[in-house]
Amino acid sequence: MSKSDIDPILLSVFARAFKSITDEMSMSVEQTARSPILCEAKDFVTGLYDGEGRMLEQTENLPILAFSLAPVCKYIIEYFEGDFKPGDVIFHNDVFSMGNQNNDVAVFRPIFFEDKLVAWTAVKGHQADIGGAVAGGYNPNAVEVWQEGIRIPPVKVYDGGTFRKDVWDLIFANIRFDIVQEDMRSQMGATNVGARRMVALLEKHGLDVFERHKLALFDATQKMMEAEIGSIPNGNYSGEGYVYYDGKNKGSKYTIRVDIEVKDKAITFDYSKTDARTNGFVNGTYTSSASATALTLLQMVNPDIPHNEGMLAPLEIIIPEGTILNAGYPAATTFGNHLCPPNADAIQRALAPAIPDRVTAGWNNLLSSLTTGFDEEKDDDYVDIFFMGMKGGAGAMNGTDGYDHIGMIDASGGVLDQDYEMFEQQSPHRLIKHEYLTDSAGAGQWRGGIGIETVYEFGSDNTQLVTFGDGDYEPAFGLFGGGDGTLNTIKLTTPDGNDVVPLNKDLITGLPKGTVYFQQAGGGGGYGDPKKRDRTKLAEEVKNGIISEDTAREVYGYEPASQAAE
Amino acid sequence: MTTKIGIDVGGTFTDFLVVSDDAEPQIFKTLSTPKDPSIGLINGLTDIAKAAGSTLEAFAPTIDTIVHGTTVTTNATLTRTGAKSGLITTEGVRDALEMRRGIREEQYNNRYTNVPPLVPRYLRAGVRGRLDRKGREIEGLELDDVRAAIETFKAESVEAVAICFMNAFANPAHEKAAGELVAREMPDAYLTVSAELLPSIRFYNRVSTTVLNSYNGPKLRAYIDALMKRLADTGFKGVLLIMQSNGGVVLPETAQTTAAMTLLSGPAAGPVAGLGYAEAHGQKNCLTVDMGGTSFDAAMVLDGVPITANEGEINRYRIALPMLDIVTIGAGGGSIGWIDEGGLLRMGPQSAGADPGPVCYGQGGELPACTDADLVLGYLDPGYFAGGKLKLDVDAARKAIEEKIAKPLGMSVEEAALGMYRVINTNMAQGVREITIKRGFDPREFPMVVAGGAGPNHACMIGEELEIPLLIVPRESSIFCAAGMLMSDLKHDFVRSYVRRIDDGDWQTLNALIAEMRAEGDALLDSESISKDRRDYILKLDARYAKQYHEVTHEAPISAVEAQDGEAIKALFHAEHNRLYGYSLEEQGTPVEIINVRLQAVGRTDKPAYTQESYAGADPSPALKGERKIIVPETGEAATVPVYDGHNTKFGYRITGPAIIEQENTSILVTQSYDCVCDQYGSFAVYQKGREELVKPSLEAVA
Repeated sequence: MSKSDIDPILLSVFARAFKSITDEMSMSVEQTARSPILCEAKDFVTGLYDGEGRMLEQTENLPILAFSLAPVCKYIIEYFEGDFKPGDVIFHNDVFSMGNQNNDVAVFRPIFFEDKLVAWTAVKGHQADIGGAVAGGYNPNAVEVWQEGIRIPPVKVYDGGTFRKDVWDLIFANIRFDIVQEDMRSQMGATNVGARRMVALLEKHGLDVFERHKLALFDATQKMMEAEIGSIPNGNYSGEGYVYYDGKNKGSKYTIRVDIEVKDKAITFDYSKTDARTNGFVNGTYTSSASATALTLLQMVNPDIPHNEGMLAPLEIIIPEGTILNAGYPAATTFGNHLCPPNADAIQRALAPAIPDRVTAGWNNLLSSLTTGFDEEKDDDYVDIFFMGMKGGAGAMNGTDGYDHIGMIDASGGVLDQDYEMFEQQSPHRLIKHEYLTDSAGAGQWRGGIGIETVYEFGSDNTQLVTFGDGDYEPAFGLFGGGDGTLNTIKLTTPDGNDVVPLNKDLITGLPKGTVYFQQAGGGGGYGDPKKRDRTKLAEEVKNGIISEDTAREVYGYEPASQAAE
Repeated sequence: MTTKIGIDVGGTFTDFLVVSDDAEPQIFKTLSTPKDPSIGLINGLTDIAKAAGSTLEAFAPTIDTIVHGTTVTTNATLTRTGAKSGLITTEGVRDALEMRRGIREEQYNNRYTNVPPLVPRYLRAGVRGRLDRKGREIEGLELDDVRAAIETFKAESVEAVAICFMNAFANPAHEKAAGELVAREMPDAYLTVSAELLPSIRFYNRVSTTVLNSYNGPKLRAYIDALMKRLADTGFKGVLLIMQSNGGVVLPETAQTTAAMTLLSGPAAGPVAGLGYAEAHGQKNCLTVDMGGTSFDAAMVLDGVPITANEGEINRYRIALPMLDIVTIGAGGGSIGWIDEGGLLRMGPQSAGADPGPVCYGQGGELPACTDADLVLGYLDPGYFAGGKLKLDVDAARKAIEEKIAKPLGMSVEEAALGMYRVINTNMAQGVREITIKRGFDPREFPMVVAGGAGPNHACMIGEELEIPLLIVPRESSIFCAAGMLMSDLKHDFVRSYVRRIDDGDWQTLNALIAEMRAEGDALLDSESISKDRRDYILKLDARYAKQYHEVTHEAPISAVEAQDGEAIKALFHAEHNRLYGYSLEEQGTPVEIINVRLQAVGRTDKPAYTQESYAGADPSPALKGERKIIVPETGEAATVPVYDGHNTKFGYRITGPAIIEQENTSILVTQSYDCVCDQYGSFAVYQKGREELVKPSLEAVA
């Protein structure tokens, strides 16, 4: 291939068209799905891959899912030994064949052009239920995968355009809620939307031109990524992050240790010294853990680098099987996505001395909850992942405050609060409070993002609550003199006035209607000496009740009198 | 005889297009008066009267219609200079406005910060009182809390109040009660009540839209009041219409209560105007770009229809009202050149605007702007800017560029000016990429209709960067949006909630709702003196499959509802769902439910007709007015190029680039990669050298 075969305008047309295809697929799911997890919180990802399963582009509403699609695509190609026909639709969730979490079920659709398999569209989304012992999929008591949900290794639900009713029924006979069927139809529809656009693009430019420019795009992206890595000083860096409570043994703590080697244009993340797997569900899969590593690094490089195969080429990620980040068959792993925050902590701590202006202080860790029950008024089941309550503050960086109420680093502001009114439509619950939490931000010249306080009342009897997360033992850490953020908490008060404090991975059943749920999601860590914080900003924050007067005085050394003199 | 005037107030110039039955359309331009834009508007009307040998007092009563686009609200929102506003909302949710549902649009960019809220936290008051999801009262409204909020607002001199309560879409009673109290206690405050503006579910969309409305309300209200008074003082007795973001026009009283509907008032006329010119070249698709003094707008027309959105954002503030899809960036003739911390040359988004304006205006501007660079490069005639009304000071422009740009960068004045010209063109090309490539379209397949006073001087280089082969510069390009306003229809949008499955349809109620909206539309169209035979009613349904979260908006014939033909309506829904989302659930028999019924009442207006010129041959020399030394942008070399008088060009004239075509209010730089042919409607069709086939309709006359 010679350079002259590449039209630079066309190259950017392709790059943008790929992006607009995955964006359009994303919009399609958002608009048609039933479960608020998908259509309100956008806990799904859409992607476009070439005939060999290489990533062309993705729309990463939730980045932790993003880097888990291409490996599955490659696995599916291998699994069926290339036996694909136009009209095939393939489902997959299996965590032991490159899946990342049981609930995250993917749809893959091969795209044919001139009788050749040339591309794939895919959508992976978090389903409201996946069978197993506990509705909603989070089972803190699980010790192996079969207690968590149904495994779906690659399976054709449409074979050459023919619907396989038997296969479909086998899958959905093992899943509690009917809306999962509808949501999988929504995902299939989106892969069709993407396929139509892709075929139109190929018809316009021809296969040959597409293939040439695709490779040029990978190449250009890889060079950009190599330049970014090249700007990190060569050396070896190590850091740790911590996981508290494995769902089985109270007081247990696990260490994620990363040893990073930067050598010119390449970077290696080695997790060999990470603690061994737990015997509960607090375990990762290789895909979910490697995704966590990639997304953390991507926040330290030019955010405009296109997301395709070339971006990941200079990265090597070593995660030995048997560690908490790659537990191996047949471990329970539903918590795996949520090992991203401590993994990110380890990477930020490791690289802070090398690139102090590109790392952030610690982000608020996820502590989330999920309720299931029966909505009497609507005469229907419901499941609600309480997204709006779990979003704390981001870590600050040199020159920029942490983003307020952004939530876990593995979503980085991609997972949204349910709209309050839609929350009350979809569940029987009633929202009482959802506000910024005063003094939650880690202090600093650049403060951490603000955390929040949320209160709501259960509207169903016999409600089941599952909690999953962390951040109630160790707050988000400050950097270079910045203060820590605040801790996460969840507390329930039943109508008879009793308080119940769930563990951070817990399952509580039979909660009565009228129970009040209280949650704080902590702030992010601060960066630099709080005494150096801009006084005008402080004055505003005090006036708005984001920072209390006491904290302003004691931690920031801010005197309202000196402000008046300015 | 009827006289209609389209008036577009921009950041720098106020544009006028006067259309009368018996005469060619006339263009006027005056400098905008940002502190009170109505002054500039009256100045312009005075100029128009004078040009006709009349006086304002004699001329004004003869005007039948004025259609007006305003950027008052747009500018207030972009620069965050709207009214000091307060929000009264349900206790516990006052931060929703600022949280924006916890989104960070750039997930991988830790330097990306939130936008400051339009109402600061200390002016967001939560009050007790609660409705449940069906609108049933759980807790009565605590009026004392509302009073406390009012006291705070008074103490803080709040000028505008927004009220938005949880679940008010299902029951407006609490909002109504709070609104009455605010209206009584703060009679001068601009009040927006959410359920009146946008009676639909989704709290965040509603609170954000409500606040945008109240934040912009006082400025727009004051402006329109002042304008109506000034017009009345002149003796104007005709109809004043205000352009809205949806591409339609309304009466000023309507515009004043829905200020948020004017956020794209200015640029919304652009795509409509662009389509008119593109159609002359057999095109149903086009891009429209408009480069004025302060901003650059890019939009797209696909299959004869400007692309629209039911909700969107302005400066990252959510707005859930129908509007045209337009990309706006801060690039215009007034854009200031500066050197950033990294030593790179940047252009804008700060603008010298009309006051003080670029350095060459000699009105006190000291910072070099895009117009200064254009002047130094020879693309503007210092003696013929605005038809000679404004003499440009070349030496002052050179001096400013030398001091602020050339010296720091160690280059010549010409090199620095060319650098400024190139940088701003790249910025604008990026804006065109946003509206095309980002939406998956290839800009090379669209003719680009070029507007704005500064646009034609820059269009070739934007086209060059994006390889756009055909540019159309209308003769009215400098007042493009003003022309579009006269081509716009009256449009009134109505919405009613009707939550019901189609198979279980209450047809009587549905038809009654449609009749009700029709009656409201008729009342407005009556007041606008639109005769019955010029009215259209477009029915749209927001529908979804049972248990879906979001709705598909699709058109349905009113006759189908009248005939109670549920099957026909469902078939339309299934087809639209499949087109948009790749599948339908027709086979599964999933019930379809309607959520909202929308009616748009359209009053068709008379569009100005353009007369076709007769072919005058290819030789452009009759229009040649001289020659001028310029810096050719592609090479950076100096060259002497011909200058043509754009007012004297005739159909068929072919002009070879590089060349300049001058009109009173705009100047076209045909660069050396392009040639130009004058078409039968007086527009300039600028095409890539060697691509004559693109302008065949204009050349065919030769054969």
